Amino acid sequence: MLLGFEAPSIDFHALAPEIVVTATLAVLILVDAFTPKQAKSAQSSIAGLGLLLALVPVVTLAVDGGTRVMFEGAFVVDTFSLVLTGLFLVSGYVVILLSQTYIAEGDYWEGEYYQLLLASILGMMVMASARDLITVFIALELLSIPAYMLAAWRKRDLRSDEAGIKYYLMGVFASAVLLYGMSLLYGLTGTTMLSEIATKLAGEDVPSAAVLAIVFIVVGFGFKVSAVPFHTWAPDTYEGAPTPVTAFLAVASKAAGFVALMIVVFGAFPFRVDIVEPLFWALAVATMFVGNLIALRQTNVVRMLAYSGIAQAGYMLAPLAVAGTVGDAAVQSILIYLMIYATMNLGAFAVVIAASRKTRSGELTSFAGLVRYAPGLAVAMAMFLFSLAGIPPLGGWFAKFGIFKTLVEADSAAGYSLAIIVGVNSVIALFYYARVAKTMIMDDVPDGDLSPVQVPVSLRAAISITLVLTVVFGILPQLVAGLTDNATLLSAVAVP
Amino acid sequence: MDFTSGQFWTSPITYMVFVPVVGALVMLLVPKANETAHKVLALVTSLVTAAIGISILTAFNYDSAGELQGVVDTDWIPFINANWIVGVDGISLPMIALTLLIVPLCVVYSWDHIPSPGNAKAFLILILVLDTGMLGSFVAQDLILFFVFFEVVLLPMYFMIGVWGGENRQYASIKFFLYTLFGSALMIVAFISLYFLSGAETFSMIELPGLAQSITHGWQLVIFGGMLIGFGIKVPMFPVHTWLPDAHTQAPTVGSVILAAVLLKLGTYGFIRIAIPILPEAARSYQWLIGLLAVIGIIYGALCCLAQTDMKRLIAFSSVAHMGYVMLAIATLTTFGINAAIFGMVAHGLITGMLFFVAGSTKERYHTLEIKRLGGLLKQAPRMGWILGLATMASLGLPGLAGFWGEFPAILSAYDPTNADYSTGFFGVSNLVLFRVFMVVAAIGTVFAAGYLLFLFQRVAFGVPSEEFEHEPIPDVNRFEWIAWVPMLVLIVVLGVYPNLIFSVTDSTVAPMMQLAAGG
Amino acid sequence: MLAQVFSAVDACASTTADTAACGQTYSDFLRQWLTVAIFTGVAFGMGAVMLGIAAVLRPSNKRTGAYQNQKRIGYESGVDPVGSGWTQTQVRYYIFALLFVLFDVEAVFIFPWAMRLEDYGTFGLIEMLIFIALLALGLVYAVRKKVLQWL
Repeated sequence: MLLGFEAPSIDFHALAPEIVVTATLAVLILVDAFTPKQAKSAQSSIAGLGLLLALVPVVTLAVDGGTRVMFEGAFVVDTFSLVLTGLFLVSGYVVILLSQTYIAEGDYWEGEYYQLLLASILGMMVMASARDLITVFIALELLSIPAYMLAAWRKRDLRSDEAGIKYYLMGVFASAVLLYGMSLLYGLTGTTMLSEIATKLAGEDVPSAAVLAIVFIVVGFGFKVSAVPFHTWAPDTYEGAPTPVTAFLAVASKAAGFVALMIVVFGAFPFRVDIVEPLFWALAVATMFVGNLIALRQTNVVRMLAYSGIAQAGYMLAPLAVAGTVGDAAVQSILIYLMIYATMNLGAFAVVIAASRKTRSGELTSFAGLVRYAPGLAVAMAMFLFSLAGIPPLGGWFAKFGIFKTLVEADSAAGYSLAIIVGVNSVIALFYYARVAKTMIMDDVPDGDLSPVQVPVSLRAAISITLVLTVVFGILPQLVAGLTDNATLLSAVAVP
Repeated sequence: MDFTSGQFWTSPITYMVFVPVVGALVMLLVPKANETAHKVLALVTSLVTAAIGISILTAFNYDSAGELQGVVDTDWIPFINANWIVGVDGISLPMIALTLLIVPLCVVYSWDHIPSPGNAKAFLILILVLDTGMLGSFVAQDLILFFVFFEVVLLPMYFMIGVWGGENRQYASIKFFLYTLFGSALMIVAFISLYFLSGAETFSMIELPGLAQSITHGWQLVIFGGMLIGFGIKVPMFPVHTWLPDAHTQAPTVGSVILAAVLLKLGTYGFIRIAIPILPEAARSYQWLIGLLAVIGIIYGALCCLAQTDMKRLIAFSSVAHMGYVMLAIATLTTFGINAAIFGMVAHGLITGMLFFVAGSTKERYHTLEIKRLGGLLKQAPRMGWILGLATMASLGLPGLAGFWGEFPAILSAYDPTNADYSTGFFGVSNLVLFRVFMVVAAIGTVFAAGYLLFLFQRVAFGVPSEEFEHEPIPDVNRFEWIAWVPMLVLIVVLGVYPNLIFSVTDSTVAPMMQLAAGG
Repeated sequence: MLAQVFSAVDACASTTADTAACGQTYSDFLRQWLTVAIFTGVAFGMGAVMLGIAAVLRPSNKRTGAYQNQKRIGYESGVDPVGSGWTQTQVRYYIFALLFVLFDVEAVFIFPWAMRLEDYGTFGLIEMLIFIALLALGLVYAVRKKVLQWL
């Protein structure tokens, strides 16, 4: 029997950001196809413009307020998704600023680079609105596959090849695990809608396979956010990939992983926190300690940032370990963390890219005495690093504060113990952040070469934007906290 | 900060706190080579700050010094209900005055004393940022606001020690940083616990003292414990004091002065302003422990001083001992004790600051602070020698100078602690007995103090110059040093002769506060 | 695991909980994670068993000579292969194959759509046109990059 077809009503306003990015992508491909190989500089400008243009509907949607639900609930545009869409667009724009000279000056494919970048960002934007297993999975693949290719963009460089292949293999493995979990979940509940899964799993008698499904899904996303013990790809990939791509992976891609985690945990398992919470407790503790302790021993700044990123992911996992008691407060604290983290981490990568233009290396020793010949870069880097360490009045303090607050709010043994562990780890982390700042500011220039660094305009812009935001977020955290005021995921779930 | 709030923009406190940062931003725009411009800008900024501060101090109604005055209360981070609440009362007033005095003097001193490797621009900017952090901490009446300002001083101090410090500067700076950060991590968890457990969901230091009573005793102990470590590291209390001798010794002169004169006070100020009024019950339970650690600090600091061969390190350890007196006075939890503690803080700030100034100038002239190699300062630079004499005399608590009024009442207050019959965790000995023992030990500590300070003065100032410096031309106190030092010296004498200048202000705040704490 | 202690501590520490309830939480928790443990055990066990059976059943590989050489020959549907297994193939084959798969999949979508086109109406038509247009974009790109030129 054929069912009657009814065309879904499409809210073009709600879809506008995605449509703008898709259109930009199409334009990019056409322009790339019809311009000669030497004239690809337009690509980055078009891509950047497209992302900024996509911000316009995000703002109008935010001003409009309210929740827009499409495709029977599979695609939702609310405060949560708008905040994240904005985050992805802005960080994508900054990544383009970072890439401009790096890609243009190296022997890289310029046109395709921006196309893939935009495709990945599009996947992230869809992820923010996805409320259905299939949509989540499609978004995940859309954001991952271009990223695999970008990681290997430095063709003919063995490290970059290694980065790409490692990232690809681990990513595909994670997707397989994830799909296994999703298929179990679908088999158990007969639906792919997250809210319906939540209701089905709410009862007393939950089949044992549900535990398996939940574990597999969390593990699958654990790879994406590089939680320990699923982090092994991250340092090699970060070091080998072109640095702007590393920045993209460490910030946007990781954020997208967290978004997926939040959507699934709060959308599908809000009544199964008894299974989810201990899992996240263990993941968070392992991630923090392993990330920080290994970061202590790094001699390469990019690798250090990779491990510090793992540790930062540990901080962000922590609120999920008390998700059951604090509810949406956990979502908000993670959102705040993601936004501030994106700002300061992108800034740190921008400085590394700028300084490497002279040093041609990511080794810490090559940055010694940076303050002598590039005081602005050194001071900016110090600000970003101390912000990552969470020192007021730089933005990072509020991000950490939000985590502490959520953990203490839970008022449980798990919460307090995690709060103490986060505290201890902040101190460990300070040590290696301060070491980089120390090398740049207090040590002597290795070869006595004091010629200045040529910092192109786009990098200057990227550093200025991130630096100003890092300081402003620290002094007036309400600017970022206020955005998340109405960012909720739980309200969409009906309590059975 | 709610920028639409007229309250925020009309309050002089706002300007006092932020003028230094504005000055620092202006200096950022001036090229590095123009050092004179930087010095002038820094001096003008710090003087303008001081002028605004003085206008606040003169507008202060001393008849009702017990009340918080000039209060501004506007939104800052509504998301977590942290507000921009600032105000001045009898406890913060002396601290603000101290900061307003020290910073311009440090800028003046830096005029011809920019430590190696130079770069006056960065150095002076850091001093101004420190100024904002310190003033902000002393006016903040919201826990989160206090926390942020408390931490703002960390970075400038870290760089000041790490870039302009002595040989072992990098070790000292990171040690200072890690210790303090560890303390503040515990502190912030304690603050957040207060926020939730008090049930009030507020960080206001004005409201919390009444509200925290509802917290169970066990949790009060835990929260107070967090603050004890957090503030205790800053004070510094034995056994978490070890960062201090390194930091002091390695820091450039101005850094040591600011560290000794103001930054250490943030810790004791935190006890008096936050920990004790909000959690008096827990304070009483910890009383014996704080007292015990304080006297250990006194004796330990004194013994360490006796073993030092470096002048600056000796002064640094004497800080540990002197802050021990302050902590002992705080531990008594009496009105008298807290008053003594505040006076002790101001006196220690002036005297130890002065000692560090002299040590810095000595180092500049002799290029060493090894006590063995020095000598005959009175012969070569008599004025500086006598200034050192006055400062050491003040430091050992000679009556008639400020140090006496910091030490003597502190010891006296231990005679009669609050809650005398309370059986302490220290083998069940009653508070009264325990504190009287402390009193005796602290009194013995003053003898040690006299010992090491006189030893220092005698070895450095008396006798004949050692052979190696005999023919070196050692200039006496110069113009900038006079300008920087005279106000401090005058104050040391004035406060020694007329201590009521401070006691009259603090007492009216402390008395009702301790009454409230005792009644809870 | 430490985490299990926490939930038990919280359950037992809360004022409303009776002893039975906190014991219950504890055993529930263990039962849930037992599933994961069993699954892991079965997964590893199955691999071990299959490899083990194969190891027992297959002919020993210690023989030498012709038999051993046979094992090293690439398998090509029972036909003896020609040349080494490491020959290089023109990369264009792959690109052509990729493009073919692309449009093959497109066809997979279009056939069922065509069957129900009347039901879908204008909406369906526009949707499919967008889909085809986006794929055509890829084709244009391929043409311009001279992928379709054989020589």
